[in-house]
Amino acid sequence: MKKLLSIIIFALLICACGFAQPIPTWKDKASMHLDDYKTSFLTGREESTEPHFIKARREIAASNDLGLLTIAYLTKYALHTASLESFDASEFAKFYKLEPNPSDMAYCHLLKGNFTAVDMQVLPARYAGILKAALARDLNVAAREIAAIDDPLSRLIACGVWARYLPSDETILQIGISTASANGWRRPLWAYLNKLQEHYLETGDQNKAAATKARLDLLKKD
Amino acid sequence: MTMSRDAKVGLFVGCTAILVVLALLYLAAGKGLFEITHTFTLSSKSGESFTEGMPVVFSGFNIGKVQALELNDQGIVLIKIKIPDRHIKWIRSDSTFILYRPLIGSASIVVNTPNLKSSPLDTSKITEVVIINDINDAIAKIEPVLDRLTEIAEHVEDLTYNLSDPKGDLNRVLGNAEKITTNLASKKSLVEMAVSDEESVKALNDSLKKLKDITSNVDRILTKVDKMADKTDKEIYGNDGALPQVNTILKDLVSKLQKLDKTVDNINKISTDTSEGMKDFHILRSDIDDVVNSLADVVKKLDAIIGSKKAPEFKVP
Repeated sequence: MKKLLSIIIFALLICACGFAQPIPTWKDKASMHLDDYKTSFLTGREESTEPHFIKARREIAASNDLGLLTIAYLTKYALHTASLESFDASEFAKFYKLEPNPSDMAYCHLLKGNFTAVDMQVLPARYAGILKAALARDLNVAAREIAAIDDPLSRLIACGVWARYLPSDETILQIGISTASANGWRRPLWAYLNKLQEHYLETGDQNKAAATKARLDLLKKD
Repeated sequence: MTMSRDAKVGLFVGCTAILVVLALLYLAAGKGLFEITHTFTLSSKSGESFTEGMPVVFSGFNIGKVQALELNDQGIVLIKIKIPDRHIKWIRSDSTFILYRPLIGSASIVVNTPNLKSSPLDTSKITEVVIINDINDAIAKIEPVLDRLTEIAEHVEDLTYNLSDPKGDLNRVLGNAEKITTNLASKKSLVEMAVSDEESVKALNDSLKKLKDITSNVDRILTKVDKMADKTDKEIYGNDGALPQVNTILKDLVSKLQKLDKTVDNINKISTDTSEGMKDFHILRSDIDDVVNSLADVVKKLDAIIGSKKAPEFKVP
């Protein structure tokens, strides 16, 4: 009797699960391609990076969801910033005109280094600390705030924002290097090591510059 | 019958008078006193060179003369010419009258009649005279010649001035010629004269001697090269030379290539088979796509049944 009861309860549970809302295929695929894009970009697989983004954009475009397309492009710009690279925000501007979202604009301003134009109220909370430090140009606060960000990619983006638009600092660059290194993100790691070498050369620390160059050579060989 | 002396004298005087009158009449007739004449009027803008009694000439013969010269109200000179009746046939309606003033001799009016069968010239018609002036033409032709002559005379003057000038070109040329001849007389060789430096000549002579040495060296080298070429010939074409060995290698290569031909044929066969096999690849690809899609459907259905998969969340990193 007990066995029969347990079988009936199990069957009912399975049936209950069957009524869950199915996920749209495009959304599933878009998410998957966007994740693949992030991974390919950060790990430096240049050949497969752009095709993943194109596929993700195609899937999102099938839904005609401008908000999601904007997020996809902002993700792309954020990855470039994390790797200390410049980007062209014309696509974002196009979508923003059609569907303005203050939160997206605040994020884009942060990535572009327009700190005074960023609306802190709508900016993702994890970047509030780095924004305050950037406005005050306080290196110690910035290093502390960046180190406090849990998500490694967000931490790397914060490092990128500081390293690209504000005076370079060894601590912040080291945070970027350790984050990229810990996750095996070759592309940002290469950029931060280069930046650190430049920093050492500027400050006249030849030994550290040579050591950084050795690390770069090692990265190049592999 | 005898005649008295008075009668005889009277007869002689009468006959003589008759003879004199007849002679005078003959002369007058000969001079054309009794001939009918025709008067034509010609015109000219200038009366210069026209004179009364001026001859009118046709083909070099006088056929008339200018009778009178008048000036009309328009300031045109009218020339009246008188032509005897026997010469009227030369004056025709298409006749032209030319005042010809030769360089030597007197002026005359020359008549030109191109067609003697044309109608006679009307006496009331006034024809204009064409003027040909040999003197003016001659002067016009002589003027440029005189100009040239003047230029030549000036040039001759310049030349004579230059020749007589002690600092002139001729005197300088002569001076240079003198220097050259002096040089020729004093220098040892033509080269020394050309270079004007004894040391350079010595250097040139030394160079020529060295050149002789160099040519003898080159001769020796060429002899050696000849010998080497002979040796090379032996090494290349001799029995144990390179060429026979190359021939052997080539023969070996040909036999190996013949063997390789079979291999190439086999590869061709394989590639043909492969290309035929490739024709079915798209069917295979569609089958794989179907399988992948079926698997994706199964996974999706399992996800839906289990409900473990969460809807993806899109947010900026």
